[in-house]
Amino acid sequence: MQSTRRSFLKGVGAGVLCLTLGQMGFDLGEAKAYVRKLKIEGAKEVISICPFCAVQCQIIGHVKDGKLVSTEGDPDYPINEGSLCAKGAALFTMYTSDHRLKKPMYRAPHSDHWEEKSWEWTLDQIAHRVKETRDRDIILKNDKGQTVNRFETMFWMGTSHASNEECAVIHQALRGLGVVHMDHQARV
Amino acid sequence: MPKSFLVDTTRCTACRGCQLACKEWHDLPANETKQTGTHQNPPDLNPYNYKIVRFREHLDEKGNVVWNFFPDQCRHCVIPICKEVADMAVPGAIVKDERTGAVLVTEKAAQLSEADIKAVIDACPYNIPRLDTKTHLLTKCDMCADRVQAGMLPMCVKTCPTGAMSFGERDEILDLAQKRLDVVKQKHPKAYLAYVRDVSVIYLLAEEKKYYYEYASFM
Repeated sequence: MQSTRRSFLKGVGAGVLCLTLGQMGFDLGEAKAYVRKLKIEGAKEVISICPFCAVQCQIIGHVKDGKLVSTEGDPDYPINEGSLCAKGAALFTMYTSDHRLKKPMYRAPHSDHWEEKSWEWTLDQIAHRVKETRDRDIILKNDKGQTVNRFETMFWMGTSHASNEECAVIHQALRGLGVVHMDHQARV
Repeated sequence: MPKSFLVDTTRCTACRGCQLACKEWHDLPANETKQTGTHQNPPDLNPYNYKIVRFREHLDEKGNVVWNFFPDQCRHCVIPICKEVADMAVPGAIVKDERTGAVLVTEKAAQLSEADIKAVIDACPYNIPRLDTKTHLLTKCDMCADRVQAGMLPMCVKTCPTGAMSFGERDEILDLAQKRLDVVKQKHPKAYLAYVRDVSVIYLLAEEKKYYYEYASFM
């Protein structure tokens, strides 16, 4: 093969690159054969937050070719400093699991199965049912004739997926309806 | 310089973050499990769990319940007996990466016969390797060698939210282990470091190994 100045320089460049990688701690020798390839190599890092509890640990999602390939704790975030509990550590499976719901599911009264519904239908149903129930059950005055505006037949279950600000808005909306029964469940 | 782990069991709250993070990093599928009367789940190491947190409880001399947690994994022995045994049948089936100290099962392990596999499993003083009958490969913790080679922490250590697990250069971890032992001894006078010289995964145990797991320590 005829060697030109250009190909010679290319060779030198590649040699320098290999040397640098070796010095940076990438073992290019024997180990390569039996250690699997780093699955997040070259992946883009996307920051997100664990949805499971009020600690709100920060997560790095590794995205490769537009697909999420791995998740782990964000070491730069002061609250969790890279760590995660069993729930947060399993976020990647939550994303890939075939149990994951991607559309609203509806089970009609006395029905024995769930059916997929659109968001439009679901939100419309919720709005109508809240309105109907409230119109029917709202208690405007108590026995003494004092104004109470109480709506006792609806219960609101909160979630730790909601941020502080979302909780404030939800709370105000429900108080506005007259709902008095509200609670929180950290696992929903 | 080889790497080492320190697992301070007195700091472990058995959240099992390590167990799950390991499973996620290695893309291992779920196991079908059932309630067996303990939080230890799945009940044992298996081809889909390279790491599990073992739970064990007993009464102390005052009649109080003591609940011990033991995040079990391959010790990446300084002189791995599994490798010695496997080498007799198929050289290179199990290798030791000298740079990290990781003991790794290679694809050549598929050539091991049933008898060889049984011999390797029986040889492990810590009862770690398990056979994946689908791939005919031995499975166990690989120290996240892919991560460690790229300068990252093994997934279990990275995830641990209580600081029970540390990872680093062996001499630094040995120093840290001694420092933690001095602190832990004030509360647990019987505390000790399990079989430090021979393993890369050093366990700080608060009491005798029988209160953790039969194979928690060699001696």
